Order: sequence, then C-alpha cells, then structure tokens
Amino acid sequence: MNLKEAAIGETYIIKEIRTDDEDLEAFLFRLGCYSGEPITVISHLKGGCVVSIKDGRYNIDNGIAEAVLI
Amino acid sequence: MRIAFAGNPNSGKTTMYNALTGKSEHVGNWAGVTIGKKESPIKKEFSGGASEELIAVDLPGAYSMSPFTPEESITSGFVRNENPDAIINIVDATNLSRSLFFTTQLLELGIPVVVALNKSDVNEKQGTKIDVKLLEEKLGCPVIETVSTSSRGLREVMEKTAALKGKGQKAPYMQADIDMTDKNAVDAEDRKRFAFVNSIVNDVETRKILTKDTTKQDKVDRILTNKVAGIIIFAAVMWAVFWISQSKIGPLIADWLVGWIETFQGWVAGLLENSSPFLQALLADGIVGGVGAVVGFLPLVMVMYFLIALLEDCGYMARVSVVMDPIFKRVGLSGKSIIPFIITTGCGIPGIMASRTIRDERERRATAMLATFMPCGAKIPVIALFAAVFFGGASWVSFVAYFAGIALIFLGALLIKQITGHKYRKSFFIMELPEYKIPSLKRAAFSMLGRAKAYIVKAATIILVCNAVVQIMQSFNWQLQLVEEGMEDTSILATIATPFAVLLIPLGFGVWQMAAAAITGFIAKENVVGTLAVVYGLSAFIDTDELALTGGAGEVATTFGLTSAAALACLMFNLYTPPCFAAIGAMNSELGSKKWLWGGIGLQLATGYTVAFLVYQVGTIITTGSLGSGFLPGLIAVLAMAAIVVMVTIRSNRKLAAEYGAIHSKGGVTA
Repeated sequence: MNLKEAAIGETYIIKEIRTDDEDLEAFLFRLGCYSGEPITVISHLKGGCVVSIKDGRYNIDNGIAEAVLI
Repeated sequence: MRIAFAGNPNSGKTTMYNALTGKSEHVGNWAGVTIGKKESPIKKEFSGGASEELIAVDLPGAYSMSPFTPEESITSGFVRNENPDAIINIVDATNLSRSLFFTTQLLELGIPVVVALNKSDVNEKQGTKIDVKLLEEKLGCPVIETVSTSSRGLREVMEKTAALKGKGQKAPYMQADIDMTDKNAVDAEDRKRFAFVNSIVNDVETRKILTKDTTKQDKVDRILTNKVAGIIIFAAVMWAVFWISQSKIGPLIADWLVGWIETFQGWVAGLLENSSPFLQALLADGIVGGVGAVVGFLPLVMVMYFLIALLEDCGYMARVSVVMDPIFKRVGLSGKSIIPFIITTGCGIPGIMASRTIRDERERRATAMLATFMPCGAKIPVIALFAAVFFGGASWVSFVAYFAGIALIFLGALLIKQITGHKYRKSFFIMELPEYKIPSLKRAAFSMLGRAKAYIVKAATIILVCNAVVQIMQSFNWQLQLVEEGMEDTSILATIATPFAVLLIPLGFGVWQMAAAAITGFIAKENVVGTLAVVYGLSAFIDTDELALTGGAGEVATTFGLTSAAALACLMFNLYTPPCFAAIGAMNSELGSKKWLWGGIGLQLATGYTVAFLVYQVGTIITTGSLGSGFLPGLIAVLAMAAIVVMVTIRSNRKLAAEYGAIHSKGGVTA
C-alpha cells in the first residue's frame, strides 16, 4: 500500500519509492525517505499528508504520498 | 580568512551570519529563505583573537552536495570551487539524523570544519540530549552548541574556526571511489553514508520525545492546514496585517510625520522667499514637496514590514504554503508560490527572487511573472493617495487593490497554464514544517528599520532626482523658457507625455499629467505620488491627516479632472502594469529567458490596460448610464490583445500536442 492509506501515528517501513521522476527520488532520499527507512503519517489533509521522516516534519502532496510504498 | 556558512535549510545560518556581522539579511522560519550568496566581514568582538580580518560567506541551505534546486547549486559550487579557508557547518540540533549527511560530505573536502550545533535551546526544552564530546570524536572536528537567535556559543565557534586556519580536515567517512554517473552505485554509496550517520546519532543522542509522536504543534497544524479553516485564518491574518498597517497604526504615525514635513517645507519656502520663483518651485514643491509626499507614507509601509517580519519569523509561512497548494495547483502554481506573493507585499524584488525555491521551472516562472500583481510597499502611497483624494479615504480602496491583485494572479496563472499546456506536466509539492516559535520583536524591528532606511534612501536619491527632473521639465518649454501660467501644455514634460496620454483616453485618464506619472512610475512606483504632487502643484494639499485632504477631497479631485470611475481605473493601471525597472531586472534573472521576460511584461501591460479599461467603462456606465470616452478604440485594443493571447495559446498547444503525441508513438514503437 502507499502512504495515502497509512494509519495515522503508526510507523511503517518504506518498501519502495515508485516514481519515474529521478529528481524526486533523489530529493526524498536526502531527507531520509528511502526504502528500508521508517516513516510515520502524522495527519491526512485534503491535498496530501503530514509525515515524520527522521527528525523532521514535512507536508507532502498526494502525488508523492502515492509514490511512497510501505 | 574566508569562512563559508553551510548547512541544511532553516538551520539558522543567516541568523548566525547577521549576529556575527551586524548585517540584517532576510531571515525567516521556513526552508529556503536565503537564495543567494552574501559576504561581509565579521565584527571585531567575534574575531576569536585572529589578527586578520574574518569574512563570513552566507550560503543558501542545502541537504547535500548534489544540488537539486538552483539555489542549492550556489552552495555546493562555492565550497567545492572557491576554496574557503574554513567551513562553519550549521547543524539543526533537533534534526541531527538528517543534517549529518551533509556534514559528512563537507568533512570530505579537506577544508577545516567547525560544527555549530544550532537550536540547542529547542533541544533542551524537548529534553533531547546530545553528547557533544562524543560527537566531536566521531566527526573529527570541533562541535559547539549554539543558539543563533541569542548569540549563544558564537564567540567560541569563531575562536575554534580562527584557530583552524591553514589546517586540513580528516574525514570520518570517505566515499568509495565509484563511477558518479552510475546511479545504482551512487545510491548504494549514499545509503552507506546514511547508515554511518545513523550509527553516530544512535550513540550520541538521547531523546525524551520522539519526533513521530504527535505534539501540540501538530494539533495547531491540523487547524492551520485544514482546507476550510486554514484559508479563513489566512485571509483573516492578511486582512489584519493590511488593516493595522494601512488604516490603524500606520496613519496614526503618518499624521505626526507629515506635520514635520510640512513645517520643514514651510521653512524652506521661507528661506527662498526672495529668490527666483523657479528656484522656489524646484526646491519647495519639486524636491521637498515631492519627496515629502512619498516619505509621508513611510509609516504605513514600516508597520506593514514589521507585521510581515513577525509572520515570517513564527513558522506560519510554511503552513500557508500547505493550505494554498491544492488551490494553486489547480491554476498551475505551487503552494510555495504564496511565499513570493506575501514577500511582494513588502517589495517585489525579494518577492520575485523568492520564487527561486520552487522546483518546477514552469511554476517558478509563472510565480516570478505574477508576483508583482500583489501591490508592493511602494504602491501603498499610490493607493493611499487615490483613496484619500477620490474616495474620502475609504478603506475599501486598499482592500480592492489587494483583492484584485490576488484575482489577477489566479487569472494570469490560468492563462499561463493555457499557453504552456500545463496538463502535460506533473509537479510535486513537499514542504518542511518547521517548529513554531514566538517571533522576535527585536528582529522584526531590525527588519523594519533596515527596510525603512532603504525606502528613505530611495526617496532621497531616485525619487528626489525624478521629482526635480519632472519639475524642471514642466517648468520649461522646448525653447528653454519658463512656461507661463495657463500655457502648461507647452512644457517639455507635457509635449513628451501627451502622445502616451492619447493611449490612455479609453481608460478615462488621458491627460498628460497622468501619463507622466505612469511613466515615472516605472522608475519607482512611489514616483506616481511624487510626480502627481509636482505636476499639479499639490504638495501642500497632501496631508495624510486621517488620510483626507486639507483642501477638501472634492477640490483636489476637481484639479485632477477625473471622475471616480476614471480615478479607480488610473489607480489599477498604475498597480498592475509592469513593476519598476528594478523588479523587471529581478524578473529577467529569475525567468532566465528573454521569451518569458517579454511574455511577462506583455502580460502585465495587457492586464493593466484591460483592467483599467473595464473599470472605467463599466464604472462610467453604472454612474452615468452612458459609455466613457474612447470606448471603441479601447475595445479594439483590448480585443487585439485577447486575439494575440488566443493565437499564442492555439499555436503552443498544437506544438505541445505534437510533441506529446510524438513521445507516445515513439514509446509505442520501442515497447
């Protein structure tokens, strides 16, 4: 499943970043968002969700949320 | 000794730089405030005992040495190619696990590094402990706990840095010798680096509150980023900013200031009593009056700067981007576009430059092109003047000016989306949500004073010169004789401006004075006020006493010779035509393409003209029941502009469809 279906507050391990946009993949990587790393959804919003990656909070849109498989 | 300040975005680099150098560079609590390199000598008290001068080089935030956005490449380019003598790596102590990735890369360069463990106060508050001694050992470089906002630890950082001059740096982690073009190999290497960082963090950090736990801040976020409540709150916040600065506190201070300016003007006029009438007019009306008219509005602008600085400091801007993203995405912008738009309410130049942090090129360019539809600080005097003269100081004028600006941004964005065929492209939005903090009043005051200084300097230079030139040009005719009373239309200024004025007839203000004001407005928008004050000899009338006019609004309105519909059209024309030359220069560098630049200027000209035309003609129909002057030629001009837009759209869509189709059929063949 992807991040959009993730339960709030539960920590998942990222399985794969599924996108054909290499830049996006590289950018997410630098924040610590890559396969094998934990990720937690803090809340779901209309256009995306708030996630906790490493020790940072980010808002990502649905496009990215759907690309992060957990 | 040149010292580079490098670190992740929003780790506090510029705040530290400002504290060390005494500068007041733009800071704010979101990722990506600094978008260019800044350099300045460090104050003596922080020199760390070094005999030579220490130069601090502030760089945009970066997550790693491989650049991702245009501003990040400035950072990696500088530390790699310009051989700084040392690097101060500012690390956000609350996010060690991400920040140290970049740190380990910096340590590989052979340049001595000092790590400033910034935001230590936040860690203390959250009960997170970092073993500094152990971290120093693991990294092989000095680590000092700092708090940029209160200058804590800065002296020590500088001492350590100064002592490292000429020394090298041993890297705790060296990247294996791999083929950098092989994506898989680079990927594997980076994973190893992150694993190394994780092992360090595990050893040195103990957390009481885990980041993944939901905190009070998250609850606040949930409200502020809610799709309905978030937008209502944002609208209320912005309304409050404008209301306080332009209807409440701003005018209150302006009253007092204008009193002083008038006294000064009277004093100057008194001194010149026996000199030639021309000199009297030039000095008392042209220079003191014109500049005074502009400076009189300074308090409104200052209060506005102060409030916006508070907003930037507290962490709200990132949340606003989040709220706006779904809406902006629909019209082909990014949620991050809101930041340039808000900054533009202060000044368009930093506003346009702030668009640099938007990753998608098309969104970035659209933002840079549209930002100046948001009225900037220099346009506040123009709005206030028109509101006072024609509308009895009504506050709805300023509301309409901003609201129409926002509406134009949306319409313009839709238009650009049509022309560039956005539906073929996809973009992503990711925004770091920084910790909220109580905004610093001191910092906001500094920011306000810094900008006020720039405003006064501008008034005393560009605007003063422009007003003097306008005064001279309207005092003389082409035979270089003083223009006699009643013969004002023969002045140099009038004869130059008249041909332009003809174009403005369909907009209701086709008089040379207004044309002259619009033209000088391209040099600086405050000039619109200064020029009007000079050409109508009204400087003595403009008294911001409750932003009404001493001679009665009616009297001055008669002098201007405009109906209220024409006045509103004139205001809108001045607000939404291309910005001043300096802002166009900023547009040029951010758009990075002459085609886009001319497209942008064309769009702004067409918008200003069309809006003014509609306001005047519709307004005239409503107020008098008949059409305004020059309706037909104006309509033809507007329709011609619309036709050009439609043509360009059709052409580019056809081209895009062909390209897109080609890609598809090619894909089909290979599959």
